[in-house]
Amino acid sequence: MRLTFGDTRLLALAAGAIAVGVVLFLNASRKQRKRKKLPYKDESDTVYVVQIPRGKKVPSPSPFPIKLETYLRIAKIPYENVFARKFSSKGKIPWIRHRGKDVPDSQFAIEYLNEQFNVDLEAHLTKEERAMSRAFLKMVEENLYWALACYRFIHDDVRKADYPSVIPTWALLLFGRRIKKYAWGQGMGRHSVEEIFHITKLDFEAISDYLGDKKFLFGDKPCVADCAVFGMLVQVVFNQTYSPHNALIKNEFPNLERFCWTMRNAFWPDWDQILAA
Amino acid sequence: MGLRGSKPTFDDSSNVVYFIQIPLRGLRVPNLSPFPLKLETYLRMAKIPHESIMISTLSSKGKTPWIRHRGKDVADSQFCIEYLNKQFGVNLNEHLTKEQQAVSRAILKMVEENLYWVLVCYRWFFCDPKDLGLAQSFPWLIYAFIRRRVRGFANGQGMGRHSPEEIFQIGKLDFKALSDYLGEKKFLFGDQPSETDCSAFGMLAQFVFSNIESPHCALIKKEFPNLERYCHTMRNTFWPDWDQVLKGDASSTKL
Repeated sequence: MRLTFGDTRLLALAAGAIAVGVVLFLNASRKQRKRKKLPYKDESDTVYVVQIPRGKKVPSPSPFPIKLETYLRIAKIPYENVFARKFSSKGKIPWIRHRGKDVPDSQFAIEYLNEQFNVDLEAHLTKEERAMSRAFLKMVEENLYWALACYRFIHDDVRKADYPSVIPTWALLLFGRRIKKYAWGQGMGRHSVEEIFHITKLDFEAISDYLGDKKFLFGDKPCVADCAVFGMLVQVVFNQTYSPHNALIKNEFPNLERFCWTMRNAFWPDWDQILAA
Repeated sequence: MGLRGSKPTFDDSSNVVYFIQIPLRGLRVPNLSPFPLKLETYLRMAKIPHESIMISTLSSKGKTPWIRHRGKDVADSQFCIEYLNKQFGVNLNEHLTKEQQAVSRAILKMVEENLYWVLVCYRWFFCDPKDLGLAQSFPWLIYAFIRRRVRGFANGQGMGRHSPEEIFQIGKLDFKALSDYLGEKKFLFGDQPSETDCSAFGMLAQFVFSNIESPHCALIKKEFPNLERYCHTMRNTFWPDWDQVLKGDASSTKL
């Protein structure tokens, strides 16, 4: 059957109408999802931690929610998790809400909570130890983080890492492309696979050498830097157990694995119960 | 901006290290980028024979500085230092304990991966372009182009997502950590300088000597004067020719 010019025009119009319909439907669903109310009780003192859902091997595939939640547990601040893919005003996750105030960024959240709840996990440290604590925090979050992110998203198959099933594969792959772009701008992404592994090894060595036989970085009491180191190391020790970084820790820096177990047993006794089924 | 002349000729048979840095000679610092200043301070500290060349050629990683030694190009200031340590049998951290070496790395990374971005955000987003402190002025179009790219990098890295006040606060906490750790010591780890001193000096010199109009410089003078004292100590010890370097032209200088 030969299509006339009129038929073709009709088909084009129909295709266009369907396309517009699909776009409108998707947009409406997006707005519907946004309007879905999150369960904040702004009059209470509860801190709401907005983060992506739990993994099967680790409470979060991202180090920052684990850092933040570990801090809240150590400081004994009442909190409630809100598992949602809702990003902060800075376009990142996790973030907190407390008495109607949203605070993005895990470190700003901790500084805010220190003030609100009169907490200081570093009160027992000397001035020099506080300085070292900040240095380790920044090394882990601004250097080691990028090295491990390059491995997870660029050098290896991100689908092997423990992500909750609600995050579709296409979203992970898209995020991976973004990480590749960010890592190039940050600098780490310009190095080779071997160079990044070398950088990772030097960071592990620094943490391991400083920790030594101590229970926590600065002795018998944990501080914020311990939360950050823990959040980052669990990704290697408990999440990506197949990685060469895991083997490196087991072979050369076993005290880092011991440290992860110490933190987990002390502050996450419910670890197995809270993981996704 | 800078020299875009013919490619430099390297004598790959000699043991001289060719130190290539982008021509960002400042009015008050040898280079507006902290990394060339870090690497050159290391070369002077380690007494490694080197020839400084200022050209616009970036490294294979698209950055500055880089070195060439016996026909081998090495990019990234830290990889350069690791390479040179091996080649010349140098270890500026030899006198440090294992724990101090660990702290040394942590401070190095705090300075280069955190404080660096505070500097970048200040210079490219909050500072008046005329206060950049360059010896030769930037064509405005190039400035605008670079600024746009840097905005993308800073947002991706994370620092660019914070407000000016938050970025200033982050910088303040880094300064405080450096100041508290340094205390009254001559260098970060005592009377002998080490590798991380090169990096800390390269970064702090930007605030203390170059961006003298910045709130960061005022903050250091008021609340962390030992950081200013430290910068002068490093400058007087390893850059006795600082003023001559600033006055000199942008051609190669043999050291």
